[in-house]
This record gives sequence, structure tokens and C-alpha cells, in this order.
Amino acid sequence: MKHLKPLNEKAHLIDQASRQAEVDEVVAMQSVAGCTATTDPGWEVDMFGGIAGLCQPMEADLYGCADPCWWPAQVPDLMVTFPDWAGEAPSAARDWRKLDAVYPEDDT
Amino acid sequence: MFKSNRLYGRAAGAAGAAVFALLAAAPIVGCAEKVDTSAEVAAGSSDFMVVMNRPNRLNLIDLKQRKVVNSCDLPGDYGPGTVAMSPDNRTAYVLTNRWENIYGVDVDTCEIRFSASQSQGDERVKSIASIAVSPDGKEVYTHQNPTRLLIDRFEVQEARIAVFDTSAGLDAKPVRTFPAPRQITIMAAGKDGTLYMGGRDIYAMNMQTGATTVALASQSRNDPAESLRDSLTVWPLGDVSNELVRMYSAAQFKDASQDLATANWVWGFERVDLATGAVETKVFGPLEVVLFSGMARPSDPNQFFGVLTQLQKFDVAAQKKVKSVDLEHSYYCINFATDGSEIYLAGTFNDIAVYDPDTLEKLGNIPLAAGDMSLANSRVFSRAL
Repeated sequence: MKHLKPLNEKAHLIDQASRQAEVDEVVAMQSVAGCTATTDPGWEVDMFGGIAGLCQPMEADLYGCADPCWWPAQVPDLMVTFPDWAGEAPSAARDWRKLDAVYPEDDT
Repeated sequence: MFKSNRLYGRAAGAAGAAVFALLAAAPIVGCAEKVDTSAEVAAGSSDFMVVMNRPNRLNLIDLKQRKVVNSCDLPGDYGPGTVAMSPDNRTAYVLTNRWENIYGVDVDTCEIRFSASQSQGDERVKSIASIAVSPDGKEVYTHQNPTRLLIDRFEVQEARIAVFDTSAGLDAKPVRTFPAPRQITIMAAGKDGTLYMGGRDIYAMNMQTGATTVALASQSRNDPAESLRDSLTVWPLGDVSNELVRMYSAAQFKDASQDLATANWVWGFERVDLATGAVETKVFGPLEVVLFSGMARPSDPNQFFGVLTQLQKFDVAAQKKVKSVDLEHSYYCINFATDGSEIYLAGTFNDIAVYDPDTLEKLGNIPLAAGDMSLANSRVFSRAL
């Protein structure tokens, strides 16, 4: 938080929590899958900051990301939220044209 | 998924809408597609692989012939497709239907002899690739992550191990449950009945009392010479060497300053010998590319192999990479012939790639009908057809 200045109430709370060393309660995730809120690099860049470590081609990794809700912001989550997204596309490499964008449901 | 091993701290969250998996109580028989049964194979033992692929199909593959010899379409939706075999290698226990249901399937006839819907009432249960069978085949274990789906909120419940009686037939319910650590993603049962669970550490659970101990400290090691270990796996693979094995990455520090910029980044493995319960952890090579799964060659434990977009071979004693080849596409899941003579790469798309472990030359492909394996693990074993 050295170079960040909190501007609103929530940011102040986060800043306060970090100063109280409560960040110790957040630990690296060991082998986690399933609707993660992850800042893990990987969909756009690999662990080295490049792209050579990404799966090739990206379709090979598509359902590996969607099935476990690994990056629900980047890939529709097949585990709970969009279970039918890939129902007509069993092969990502062959059927990718059948995969459409998804949108949040309007609850109003 | 998981393009990097996670070298940075992260926080988990739970979100999602309700998915209720309903299980028919009536007997179920999957769709059998006998493809090939030669007299030569029927006469003796051969290596087989069992692996799932989309839409929700269990495949029995004769690895000598490199052919799918039977396939069974299972009820429900796909995922993750994690399979654990019965001791006689005749029944596959499959975790599927969006990580919720268990099916015990006769791999030769496709008869579904066992089933369990883990979600019940307002409680949704997901198991993250954690399924194992007791050494006597009488029980199947899952690690359950329950969430109560209430009208105004979701309530995350404590994680637990569920024990099912494999003779309970269809719509089985747990006969015992035990509190368990969270974040478990692979499991295997030892010869003495101990259940080993891979999570932040590798835990050992007494399946009669539920008493749990740390069998192999991983993230709780607290070694000042090494960074927090980072292990990623949803692929229980170790049948050919009767082991539970997973890789980890870590930084080895030069000095007490723990400077990441000057540290050596390494790959290591953590394993449990399922016959004896002995544990082992060892660095096997430099961290140069991302690898998702790895295991030692059954005939030579000093040869360790890892896979993702490259297939890499390591000399464990020398902690050196021996050889690396680029693959035609990424594969998540490595496995071996029982005698160590061939490497089988599975996961992601719908083909099994066969490689020579001596030269890393490609020997062939075994195509699967229909769709992607995605996160499915492969199980390799030897038995008569």
C-alpha cells in the first residue's frame, strides 16, 4: 500500500486491515478450483509475463477453464452459472463457432 | 485453465447460481459401443486406459492396440470426468455432472451399478476432482464442498469427506462423513485403508475414526530457504507406480534476504507410496516452462516427466532437464504404460498422444469419438480383457 492512497470508505477499510496485518489470513491458494476470485495470470499472460507458457492452441484450454469456473470473468462458468454454454459444442476446436458470448441475467 | 502455477497470494470467493443434479432411481445402462475384441488380447493381460470425454462418455482403451474397445455414455452433464478404479479394474467410479454426481460403471458392459447425487435438498455439493476407492473396493470416498442455497443468501458449509458403500446400488447416500480440510483436489487410498488428500498439505485420514494428520507438509513447511510451494493438480494419476504424486514449483533462496530476483526457481514432486505410506519430496529440475502434471517412469524412478505444451524429461538425481519436445497441442495429463515403455498424454482435446520415453519421439495418437477430455484424468492398469 506504499504507493496507493485510499480515497473512499472501502479503500480506507482495506488499508486499515492491511496495516493490522490481517492480510496474513489470506494465503496462497494451493490447488484450488471452483469459482475462484483469482488474480492469477494465465489467460492473457503466463507466469513469466509472456505468452509462450499459455496452452496451445487456446481452444485446448477452453473447457479446462470453463468446467472448473477457473476464470469466470474471462470464460463462461460451466460449473454453476452458465451450465449450458457449451452443450452444443463438445469439441472446442471443431465447434467453437457455436460458442456465443454470455451476459448477466436481468433480475429486475 | 491454470496457465501459470500460482506464485502469488490469492483469495478465494464463492459465487454461482443453483444447479440441482437429479438422479433417476431406476436402473441405468449406458450406451455400449464394442469396437474391437481380438482373440489375442482376450487371451492375456494387456494395458488399458480409462478416461472420460464430452459429452459424458467413459472410454476403455486397449493401449497395445491403441484403440477404444468400449465406450459408455453416462447420464447428466460433463465435468470434471475424474475416474477412480475398483481394485479389480472392472468398475470405474466417475465424478461427473458438473462435479456433483458419482457413477460406478462396469467398464465392459456399461452397466451403472452405483450412483450417488451428492447435492440434496437446498445443499449443493461439489467435489473438486477428489474421489478414491478403498483398497478392498467396498467403499468410495469423495471430498465434499457443500453450500446451502438459501432464499436470500448462500451459506458455505464446512468441507467433509463422504463415505459411500459401493454395494448400495443406485441413489446411494453416505454411510459416514468426517470433517476434512478445505481445498482438496486429489485423493488416493493407501493399502492400509488410509485416505491421502492433496491440498495445502498432503493429509492422511483414518477412514474409521476420521482422525486427520499431515502426512507431507507442503505449504506448512515454513522453510526459510524456500518460498511457499505452489502445487496445482486435479489429476490423480499414480496407479502405475501405486502412488499419489503431484508437482510443485518454488523459489530456492540464495540467502536469508529471500530475494526472489536471485532465487533459483525449481520444479519438485511430492509423493506418497500407497503400499507403505512412506512420503517423499524432491526437487527434480529447473522451472523453465509451465507444466501441469508429471510422474516418474515406472521402470526408473530417476526419470521424471512433465507435460503441458511441452513434454519434458528430467534426471532427478542431477536435477536437470534431459530433453524437451514441443507438442502438437497442450495436454494436461501424463501417464505411463505399466512397464514404463510408453508415455500417454491425455486431457484438453479428444486424442491420446503416445510418446517414447527414451527419445520423446511421438509414436501415435488414439482418437476419441465426440468431444474434449478437458480436465479428465487417465487411469492406466493391466488386466485381462
